[in-house]
Amino acid sequence: MEFLLENILNLVGFLVGLVIGIMSYIGFRNTGSPTLFRLSIAFFSISAGFFIIWSGYMVEDFITKTGSVERWIQTLGIAIQTIGYFFIAFSHSIKSFFPKSSYFRSVGIIPLFLVSSVQLEHIFRSVSFILLAYGAIETMLSYFENRNKGAISVAVGLGLLALGEFVGWYSFVFPESILYSVSMIIKIGGLIALFIPVSKVPLTKIKFDDLE
Amino acid sequence: MAEYRTHMKIIGDILATTRDDLQDEDGASVTYLIRKANISHSRISTILKTLVSQGLLEKVENQGSNKYKISQPGREFLQAYYTFTNFADNFGLNI
Repeated sequence: MEFLLENILNLVGFLVGLVIGIMSYIGFRNTGSPTLFRLSIAFFSISAGFFIIWSGYMVEDFITKTGSVERWIQTLGIAIQTIGYFFIAFSHSIKSFFPKSSYFRSVGIIPLFLVSSVQLEHIFRSVSFILLAYGAIETMLSYFENRNKGAISVAVGLGLLALGEFVGWYSFVFPESILYSVSMIIKIGGLIALFIPVSKVPLTKIKFDDLE
Repeated sequence: MAEYRTHMKIIGDILATTRDDLQDEDGASVTYLIRKANISHSRISTILKTLVSQGLLEKVENQGSNKYKISQPGREFLQAYYTFTNFADNFGLNI
């Protein structure tokens, strides 16, 4: 069950990230906007991260058949995803890796204390959680300014990804529970919510106004 | 409080004025654009020069004064600008 969910999650993440990354890049090529450039880096990174983990599972399933995916592949994939989440958060004007506000700085440090083990994967997951939560809050705040309904869906998507990341991280405490499966279902829901408003952008229906 | 406009938004406002809100068929004068786009003379001069050099605006000399009209690439840029503004809005971002 976990293996199937993991495959679905990574494949959906790869495809959603790729589509949004391509759309952002087309936007950057058309307008030269640095915001769209940052978004394309973000989503290409997220897509690549999911793809690496998915490839790891495929290699394990069809070639090595060891029963578990190589730890370094999982860590590498999560690290690359974290870079993507960083660029989403950075687009919302993060000035440095840890925000200057003392409140956010303290929130940022808590997970690093809690995961005192040196496993990089845990650190990346906790950093991802902070960046995703920040992105979700900023996106929701922007909804209150411009009332764009798509922003709600993106905020919910980022929020679910953050929650999934948190539950997945917490599942290390209870390794035999269903927490990890639940985290993957939550993350799949988050990716779908992220994709809904983007799928409505009429890229192929660009109509030029009447030519005299 | 005045709304902060990105450089891209100012360009979008200028192009939209030259497309939708012209004084006459010859195009829009600099003074008219300054008023409509709400921007200083020194800043708009630089932006207009860039937009003309990139082919997004056409400069028309009329009775000793310069007027500006949107070109076909300018219309296409403006359409792309609106499409991707909406795209970025979904992420709570300004392009």
